[in-house]
Amino acid sequence: MALISSLLALRRDARILKIPPYLSALCIVIGIAWLLVLPLNDYSRNTYVSENALLPGQVHTYFAGSEHNVFRAYRHEVWGLNEKPVAERSQRLADMFRSNNLKVATQKYSYHVSNRTIANENVYAILQGPRADATEAIVLIGAWKNMQDEANTSGVALVLTLARYFKRWSLWSKDIIFLVSGDSTTGPQAWVDAYHDGHDERHVERLKIKSGALQAAVAVDYPAGPWGHRYDKLHVLYDGVNGQLPNLDLFNTAVQIASSQMGIGCAIQRMFDHRDSYKERLHTMLRGMVSQGLGHATGPHSSFIPYHVDAITLSTVGDGWHDEMSLGKTIESLFRSLNNLLEHLHQSFFFYLLIQANRFISIGTYLPSAMLIAVNFSITSIALWVASGRSTEPIPNPAATAPLEDEPVKEKTAEKSATVTPPTSSEKPDMELVEQNGAKALVPAASTTITERHLLFPLLSVLTMHFLGLLPLYLFNTWSSDTLPALYLTMANATTLFPLLVAWFFAELRPLSHQENTLIQCFSLLLLGMILAALATLNFSQSFLIGVLAAPLSFVRKTNKTWLTVLQLILLALINPVMVAQWSAKLLGADLNHVLVLAAQGWAVWGLWTQVTVWLVWFPAWVCATVVVAGGAVEGGIL
Amino acid sequence: MAVDTQKALLFGGAAALRLLLFTVFPALPNLLAGRVEVSTPVTSFKRLQEGLFLYTHNVSPYDGGLYHQAPLLLPLFSLLPNPAYYPLATNLVFTAVDLLSAYAVAQVAQGGAASVSRLFSSSRKDLKWSSTAIAAGFLYNPFTVLTCLARSTSALTNLFILTAMAKASQGASSTFILALSFAAYLGMHPILLFPPLLVLLYDARAAKTKTTPNAWSFTVAHTLGLAAVSGALLAASAVLTGSWDFLAATYGVRLLLPDLTPNVGLWWYFFIEMFDSFREFFLGVFWLHAASYMPGLTIRLHKQPLFVACTLTGIFAVFTPYPSIADAALYLSLVPLFRHLFPLMRYTFVASAAVLYASFLGPAFYYLWIYAGSGNANFFYAITLVWSLGLSIIIGDSLFAALRDELDVERPELKGKDVRRI
Repeated sequence: MALISSLLALRRDARILKIPPYLSALCIVIGIAWLLVLPLNDYSRNTYVSENALLPGQVHTYFAGSEHNVFRAYRHEVWGLNEKPVAERSQRLADMFRSNNLKVATQKYSYHVSNRTIANENVYAILQGPRADATEAIVLIGAWKNMQDEANTSGVALVLTLARYFKRWSLWSKDIIFLVSGDSTTGPQAWVDAYHDGHDERHVERLKIKSGALQAAVAVDYPAGPWGHRYDKLHVLYDGVNGQLPNLDLFNTAVQIASSQMGIGCAIQRMFDHRDSYKERLHTMLRGMVSQGLGHATGPHSSFIPYHVDAITLSTVGDGWHDEMSLGKTIESLFRSLNNLLEHLHQSFFFYLLIQANRFISIGTYLPSAMLIAVNFSITSIALWVASGRSTEPIPNPAATAPLEDEPVKEKTAEKSATVTPPTSSEKPDMELVEQNGAKALVPAASTTITERHLLFPLLSVLTMHFLGLLPLYLFNTWSSDTLPALYLTMANATTLFPLLVAWFFAELRPLSHQENTLIQCFSLLLLGMILAALATLNFSQSFLIGVLAAPLSFVRKTNKTWLTVLQLILLALINPVMVAQWSAKLLGADLNHVLVLAAQGWAVWGLWTQVTVWLVWFPAWVCATVVVAGGAVEGGIL
Repeated sequence: MAVDTQKALLFGGAAALRLLLFTVFPALPNLLAGRVEVSTPVTSFKRLQEGLFLYTHNVSPYDGGLYHQAPLLLPLFSLLPNPAYYPLATNLVFTAVDLLSAYAVAQVAQGGAASVSRLFSSSRKDLKWSSTAIAAGFLYNPFTVLTCLARSTSALTNLFILTAMAKASQGASSTFILALSFAAYLGMHPILLFPPLLVLLYDARAAKTKTTPNAWSFTVAHTLGLAAVSGALLAASAVLTGSWDFLAATYGVRLLLPDLTPNVGLWWYFFIEMFDSFREFFLGVFWLHAASYMPGLTIRLHKQPLFVACTLTGIFAVFTPYPSIADAALYLSLVPLFRHLFPLMRYTFVASAAVLYASFLGPAFYYLWIYAGSGNANFFYAITLVWSLGLSIIIGDSLFAALRDELDVERPELKGKDVRRI
């Protein structure tokens, strides 16, 4: 009790309001520094396979010899289909699967996104495991076109060869599904949606045949033409849609089989020349975080992960001496490991950051950094709440400095709850007697009283800003792809001017009091901190990146100083989410228009949530802070 | 009563908002009806559909083992067209239920029993919000809107609880007994509201007739009335379903917790973890705990009966076996009646931040547990603890404020002085 009352007394202390900005800044600094030390040996661990049943690389692989001839034949067949219409291609692929005594079906899909049509056809075949009861299945995917829109000729040929090869084995205790999807992102999405009956009948055809629950999926990306291509390394892609990741065991198994059993090096996140230095580790981690934060599909495997099907893509890169047979053997060994599984992959990590193919950082180590960033907003919000309850009357000089006179001293105790001090007519500052632990002091009443807070208007303003975010969200996801660049430019201008306009309207129609300004910022930061904390558990990188980019919102305040207002407005213009999209696209070397088109496609097809976070969380928070700061500019006569 | 424009706008706006959400997002009601935070086994609309299907096919609705709601709901909802094809009628019913509840809240606020009762008059009684504002607080509370969209039958229970409060504060005996019997019939635990609301009714009657009726005969008469109406409802249910089996399937489920579907309450996790041999003992302990607040609060705060009733709804939202956000919505809409206590409350920000954090993190953690497969039950349970903590802070803080308010009236010389527990 004594502790609580002294804590309660502490909140009356004027000094306590000076601490939070430093505390917030400290949280941000520690949060970022935390991330920077993660690649060090002390904070990361070597990967290990924790599921006993997987036994990676323990089997002898037999995919060799005459299979090579079969592969070459299939490769020529597939190459010949490249220019053919979709229907004929599907027909031929289906025939090839059928000639190996597999059940085959096709699935058409056609999405309409930003006035474009994405239509194609998936072909898939099911190998019924000789020892299986059709309750579990693993998927091998070869997309017709890879992510760079190149024909995945050797990849598809390898899937066909493996289908023929796997069919001859009697040891499969799970069904194996071979899927040749029409493209790399939309096709697998349509297929996996329909497999789980989560599809929209208007765009996607129902699957005619199905097997059991999907346990894992592996995609092959090997875009070599009819004469083959010897590659140097395997690039393992693991990011799922919305930043979800596959179980680390699957990734580890693939890497261990490729590097230990087959002697093929593995790379991640396009870091093909990884020398394991601090800088490269950090670089890998940051690339992984950007990819996870954007939440887009990175390969055919991405669509499977939201359905809790662990999936990866193996992509060949570089010029070296590994050929298609070693890739085939890797996949054979990987499938033999997956075939051993007795239950769904659950042992290892679902949340991790990889800094190298065989080194990772687990969630317990990295989560605090995003949480610290999110907490900084909550701290500022609490400080603003306390500040909003303080009287705005200037705190007068201590009584001791005034000439002596007999003044009436109002006796009050400090720890009593809210009482509004009646305005005194005398010139003397209202003083009160504070008693704590036997010590007494006279302090100005203005520093201890709490004024009544008027919550409704600030609350409604903040909520309105959040609802306004729905408008750009709708526009960006529905407008035709040709008009997206124009829409973007308009938005960039409109969003920069919008807060100034709102501030001007407020000043003209209903001037905001100091308290209302403080409360608007308080509620907005409270919401931001809360949502980012929740988001950190779902998509760490997105929460962290938005948190860092929005960090200045904790520190901007309405002020009377003109130069400070202008400086704050310039800073805010730079961290406007729309502007951030512009300069970050430039920084990362991406084409912004392409990004906008992909984002709309992601919204319609993959169920991407990134835009919701940007327009309904980040953007409104930015608007609220800018309106408050711009209020100072309007009053100062700059606007 | 003359319809004033402000109120008409408020109710029209709330109805329009609900119907708009129903029409613009036709998938939303089904999505919400499947969320554990909104629909519990004893209030879910999906289970009602199941019961309805069995009922209209002349099978006992309780045979499927899924339906745990009151039998009299079945004939009511079987009159409406099938919501899978013609959802409008059902949507209109639930919108109307919300509007009637808001009307009842407004009546409670209008009565002014929150700050001034027969035996007690708060020193801050001038500090209050208008009845329109309090009705708006109920109608635009996101939790109320979600409950309405999910078409959870707890909206009906809430309507009857609020009507009972309104009628008790107006001194209308018979309607009060009817409303409370229906609330108890649908939700069981609202029966615990009878003693405090009876005191409220007594006060209202005394103020109305300017005499003090004999307390004993008053109590006996109303208890008998309640027993008669409840008995009639149960008998009608037995006639309707053809047996008394419904008792075990409805009240039995509420009492003995056989369905451990997660919800926002504290019971399910305990009873999943518990060894079977301890189950009966802890069921007794948990129920005893939940029910024990009623006598204590009613005796200690008998001068402010409406406050006791409202605090009990908050306790139901935390400590009953199958709470949902509908119960929290009821409590949180009643708290603004006690505007005069707000200056005395100390943890409003902490409590509202905890409730808000829980409302964001709860669905996120549930998603991690059930859909993403990367979390587990402890994630969600931790958040339900935070949620309950937030609500209990509000309950405890308002109780402190109410006691302090009484002290300020009893001992004016202590006003503004610090209190210490010794």
